[in-house]
Amino acid sequence: MASINEQLREQARKLLADKVVDLIIGYRKGSLPLRSTPYLVKTEEEAGSLIFDLTSSNNLAKYLPRVKTENRGSKIGIVCKGCDGRSVVQLIIEGQVKREDIVIIGVPCEGVVDTRKVRKKTGGEEVLRVSLPVLPGSGGREIMVEGRGFKITLDKEEVLCDVCLGCQHPNPPLYDLFIGRPREGSSARDEFKALEEFERLSSDERWRYFEHEASRCIRCYACRDACPLCYCEQCFVDETHPQWFGKGPDSSDTLIFHIVRALHTAGRCVSCGACVRACPVGINLNPLWVRIEKEVKERFGYTAGLSLEVTPPLATYDENDKQEFIL
Amino acid sequence: MSEGRKPKTEDQPWQPKIIAFLCTWCSYAGADLAGVSRIQYPPNIRVVRVPCSGRINPLFVLKCLQNGFDGVLISGCHPGDCHYISGNYVARRKFAILKTALEFVGVEPGRVQFSWVSAGEGEKFAEVVKKVTYDVQQLGPAKRLVKPR
Amino acid sequence: MSKLTKWAATGATKKVPFKIRENSEVMEGNHNKSVLVVGAGIAGIQAALDLAELGADVHLVEETPSIGGRMPQLDKTFPTNDCSICILAPKMSECARHPSITFYTNSSLASISGEAGNFTCSIVERAKYVDPQKCVACGLCEEKCPVKVTDEFDMGLRQRKAIYRYFLQSIPSNYLIDAQHCLYLTKGACRLCEKTCPASAINFEDEDREIVLNCGAVILATGIDPYNPLAYGQYGYKRYRDVVTSIEFERMLSASGPQRGHILRPSNGKPPRSIAFVQCVGSRDLGMGNDYCSSVCCMYAIKEAIIAKEHIKGLETSIFFMDIRAFGKDFDKYYERAESQFGVKFIRARGAEISGSNGNSLRLQFTHENGKRDTQEFDLIVLSVGLEPRKGLGELADKLNIKLDRYGFCQTDPFSPLSTMRSGIFVCGATSGPKDIPESVMSASAAVASCTRLLALERQEKLSRKQFPEERDVVGDRPRVGCFICHCGINIAGVVAVGEVVEFAKGLPYVVHAEDLLYACSQDCLNTIKERIKEHNLNRVVVAACTPRTHEPLFRETLREAGLNQYLFEMANIRDQCSWAHMDEPELATEKAKDLVSMGVAKARELSPLKRLPIEINPRTLVIGGGLSGMVAALSLADAGYEVILVEKEDQLGGNLRNIYYTLEGEDSQRLLQETVERVKGEKHITVYTNAHIEEISGYVGNFKTRLSFNGNRLSAKAGDRKPNTEIEHGVVIVATGAEEHKTKEYLRGENKRVLTQRELESYLANSHLPFLDLRTVVMVQCVDSRQGDRPYCSRVCCGEAIKNAIKIKEMRPTTNVYILYRDIRTYGLRERYYGKARDQGVCFLRYDLDNKPLVEPIDREDPESRLSVTVFDPILGQKIVIEADLLVLSVPIDAPAQNEELAKLLKVPLNKEGFFLEAHLKLRPVDFANDGVFMCGLAHSPKYIDESIVQAKAAAARALTLLSKKTIESEGTICWVNPYLCSGCGVCIEVCPYSAIEMKEETTDHRQVAEINEALCKGCGACSASCRSGAIDLRGFTNKQIFEAVSSVTG
Repeated sequence: MASINEQLREQARKLLADKVVDLIIGYRKGSLPLRSTPYLVKTEEEAGSLIFDLTSSNNLAKYLPRVKTENRGSKIGIVCKGCDGRSVVQLIIEGQVKREDIVIIGVPCEGVVDTRKVRKKTGGEEVLRVSLPVLPGSGGREIMVEGRGFKITLDKEEVLCDVCLGCQHPNPPLYDLFIGRPREGSSARDEFKALEEFERLSSDERWRYFEHEASRCIRCYACRDACPLCYCEQCFVDETHPQWFGKGPDSSDTLIFHIVRALHTAGRCVSCGACVRACPVGINLNPLWVRIEKEVKERFGYTAGLSLEVTPPLATYDENDKQEFIL
Repeated sequence: MSEGRKPKTEDQPWQPKIIAFLCTWCSYAGADLAGVSRIQYPPNIRVVRVPCSGRINPLFVLKCLQNGFDGVLISGCHPGDCHYISGNYVARRKFAILKTALEFVGVEPGRVQFSWVSAGEGEKFAEVVKKVTYDVQQLGPAKRLVKPR
Repeated sequence: MSKLTKWAATGATKKVPFKIRENSEVMEGNHNKSVLVVGAGIAGIQAALDLAELGADVHLVEETPSIGGRMPQLDKTFPTNDCSICILAPKMSECARHPSITFYTNSSLASISGEAGNFTCSIVERAKYVDPQKCVACGLCEEKCPVKVTDEFDMGLRQRKAIYRYFLQSIPSNYLIDAQHCLYLTKGACRLCEKTCPASAINFEDEDREIVLNCGAVILATGIDPYNPLAYGQYGYKRYRDVVTSIEFERMLSASGPQRGHILRPSNGKPPRSIAFVQCVGSRDLGMGNDYCSSVCCMYAIKEAIIAKEHIKGLETSIFFMDIRAFGKDFDKYYERAESQFGVKFIRARGAEISGSNGNSLRLQFTHENGKRDTQEFDLIVLSVGLEPRKGLGELADKLNIKLDRYGFCQTDPFSPLSTMRSGIFVCGATSGPKDIPESVMSASAAVASCTRLLALERQEKLSRKQFPEERDVVGDRPRVGCFICHCGINIAGVVAVGEVVEFAKGLPYVVHAEDLLYACSQDCLNTIKERIKEHNLNRVVVAACTPRTHEPLFRETLREAGLNQYLFEMANIRDQCSWAHMDEPELATEKAKDLVSMGVAKARELSPLKRLPIEINPRTLVIGGGLSGMVAALSLADAGYEVILVEKEDQLGGNLRNIYYTLEGEDSQRLLQETVERVKGEKHITVYTNAHIEEISGYVGNFKTRLSFNGNRLSAKAGDRKPNTEIEHGVVIVATGAEEHKTKEYLRGENKRVLTQRELESYLANSHLPFLDLRTVVMVQCVDSRQGDRPYCSRVCCGEAIKNAIKIKEMRPTTNVYILYRDIRTYGLRERYYGKARDQGVCFLRYDLDNKPLVEPIDREDPESRLSVTVFDPILGQKIVIEADLLVLSVPIDAPAQNEELAKLLKVPLNKEGFFLEAHLKLRPVDFANDGVFMCGLAHSPKYIDESIVQAKAAAARALTLLSKKTIESEGTICWVNPYLCSGCGVCIEVCPYSAIEMKEETTDHRQVAEINEALCKGCGACSASCRSGAIDLRGFTNKQIFEAVSSVTG
């Protein structure tokens, strides 16, 4: 059986040749090991560079609105793992793309590698070469990384992103064609496992954690730029009338920025982890995101990005919503 | 800030400053009724009148915390009573998420509180203000999320 | 004319020259658009407001010194516990502000001549001895006046002075002198008030004036008096100080009453530990001459019991009653809550005698329904006194030449409940019988609908009759804020250091002027504000005073008069939410007042002038439902000259009325049906569509579009269709969709042919035959599936129906035994006498409890026509009895149709839990929806009798006319707007908008999807704004920036 990458390239060529799509958003190999990079495929030839593996971490849905705007009238193919696919569903619900304008090429996801975790394993040494297990279902778990003077084998569980460890939806919920077979079930641990540790902390301890994380923020907005659901024409932090919050590095301002981003993505965030991976200083606010995701699920019975038919939870209500917190 | 920040003295308890967003049709009317009925409650709240609890953007609350208010009270119509049919229902969902987020990052529970007070509930309004004031007094001056000036 | 001249010469009110001109015009042109409304209680006020909105000139005559009537005396209103004065006050001030309403307080109608369409009415306005133009109601005169008089408003619980204000929120707010008690006017010496008055407002030369008016119609809204229980010697009223009437108790409960809302025993000034309410004092009592039910006492007693319990912890309250008559919308739920949640005790017994001595507990002797006597001790006993016609109605009736009934209420015909026996004189409120507030409000609007025919009213061109100077353009100008701090007499200044606040305000950014005012709302202070606006070139005004809920309109109008846009105004609430709430903490209250002023100023700086857009009103009405209510509403609109589309889902008109043959009063309802249908068919303004279904309703007030389908087939509007255009454009909607008989499976219904519903029985009786020839015993069961489970409401008419049919059977065959098994007999109002009549004719009433329901079994189980054995526990005998019945008649409830849900969604209006349409306010807006331009009437609202449906239908028509009578109305000013550059088109606003006011539109330049708000639909709730992540939507008047500035001004 042909590998995922071969099947992907073959299908992509066919879609382009048959004029089913005019372009395809996918991944190709990046210039650094353990990195792949988003790739806009316009020709059958370019389709030959498409890949999908443990390094395909970017959420490609991010590029959809822009590609759509820049290529009006074109039909766009997009390679989607579970979280990309859920983001696409959100974008459709939120009117950012039309279902009929896109062709979703589903791929089964085994999780993506967190390069920071790898770097920790190598003791900070630079990785020069990598060999990855072939996806999917090869049963391969071993990742071999080589660098100057070392060559180690890692279990992929050790180096997958936190969000992947809790992932319940490895396949896109909506697709037009699928490369390989959708993954059955999920290997993930409990969805909200990442929270457990945090929920044991006291209010003061959590405060210290978040304040510390926020104090490191350099306001580069890489998180926002990586997030497929941060598509506002202008972000609230950039507005001046009124100026909602300060734009400087003050930790009150930075933490509030992140809290508001959490509020604004509540019921929409699909936990792709793009924001955490994008942060150049390694701020990890993932627990906050997961906490809100959990609240949305428990309170409103909603999980983002699974269906086109449901109204987003914060745009609707149920008369019988719990209100134990209201006096 | 003026009076709210005065250090505690023996005979005068610390007076926190609490901002309250009240919907004009129910809770604001309830607050008026408390006054009309001469029901006494702590003078620590500063009321912002809004047409509906649905008008209250969670960012307002964050702004107030950042500005150094020691507490925030949000009050609207009881479920079913909204002058704008469903404003309080939509708001209720927003508030639930806001409260979750704030308390998760470590803002003390009790700093930000929510209530439903109808136009006829002057007594309840006073009770709510008493409770919120008491809770905030127990917590002491706000520090978290407060932006130094 | 001579009288008018005389009045003009002596009169000092501003209304004089205006009135003369108005009337002479009327007389010359003979286009009478004036109406005289007698009585300014809630009914009179509602009638006046509706008439004025219709374009009529209203003359409102009130006996007492203030408009308001009985409502200001009440503490709360059932079943919502809304504060009575709070909900009434806005209507009172609206009445006072309306340019088309002239009111005459302390006045009465002296005589009337002429005929419908052209009456000449003479009013006598009694001298007040205080110049209303000069009096600022400062109250100094009252302090100095040496004469103490028993206060009528507070029911004698307090003493007032001879110079006084009727009550705190009186309109007009001026003082007046009680000529009967004034020392100077009676004995010729004193004049202390004159010496004290800083405004030189006292005028002892004042005299009674006669005012002659020319009116097209007269509406009587004279209201009620509480029954005086002195005649019940056994209750010891006035002998025992702790026996009080319910209206006295209302004053005790009232926060603004003589006891400041503290319930204290008059005998010893201590709070009571137990209170008894004795029902039916002066009601349902032939011995006392009032054998009618006063309709409201059960509910007000429950309300007073609940509120009393809220006032005093641990208080015991017991209600001694015969039947609890909780027949209105949501009443039974209130009754249920009183018992289960608040622990009010309900004791089914008749009060017999009160004994004891002042200062000690009183012994109440009472008789249980089984005849057993019992005694219980109480600290306070409230006599639930009935309602009687207003004193002087008899005299007035003689003057007007109208008939009263045996109780002294105005006599009306059940099918024309608003007409007196004299053409052109209409009646509303409790003048024609005991009524609760919503019924009074409905009848007031209905009376308005009835008199339109007599008035030469035209569609009004202009939005407002009042002329304002052109608005100064302040856009781009640096804010110049004027700050006015009100003393409100001592209400604010007694707690808050007003002077300090003024000084503080002067130091706030952009404040160019600050000063204190004694009563900011008094005419002279309003003039001061206007002068200051000119003097200091103010472009923003902040008034720190009472509450914007009552006073914002007044101050906004003042800004308009000064040439400023009315939205450049902001209020700081330093009375209701400050001085009154922190009376013991003057320093902290002053600090708070400063902060509130600071927030007001901060917000004011950011205010922009707002425009209210004109919305055109299509003069056509869609009436949904062709039953009695729909037809009456349509006819009322047609009478006023407006076009109506009447849509009926069935193939013929008539609705439920088709199954009603006669009324409790013996009227022929089939005659009513035929006459009404014929009138509808013959009316050129009405187009009837039968077999029609509403497919879609779009648009908004003034501009609705409705698509109909017929027989389930959606018809297109293409040419050649036999059906007329199925798309209708209209300005308003009246929902009259009716209700349906509940289908029960209880009591062998559907299994045994001897089990009928009241309606089935009625159709037999109407055709003068009995369903079973050998009819010896008939058993009727009330409240089947009703007042229990998922139908917790009372269907209101079933008791009357059962009694009606029982009487009919007795008349047809007196030997037939008729048993009515009931829980409470609810023949409220004047219907009570038929309850008496049924008993007189031998109808046997047996009461049962919910936990002891009657047991019905067939005597022969095999026979579907078997006679039935009915077992019921008789509480009087204290044992079970078995009745062998030839016929079992079930009183089944009235259900809201399931289709209501669909229509509610189309109209975007709410339903209550039971599926009936929910009005904007249970008390004061009983036919309006919160959504403009949509009204309701009849069974769609809740179960009701024919006469009540007629009243509500007419009321809906009148409310609709208040819109239809204008070519344009104005949109809200404080509405939302979208910044298209910030909108990312996510659509969350569309989802959260309760009014469907937002749509997505494609931008022509860059093809982005951008939200767009229909300004006519937007009500300004701001839910979209708060949900918008991009900050693209903002709410004018409550902008993000304004709120930010306000909250930042006190922390920064």
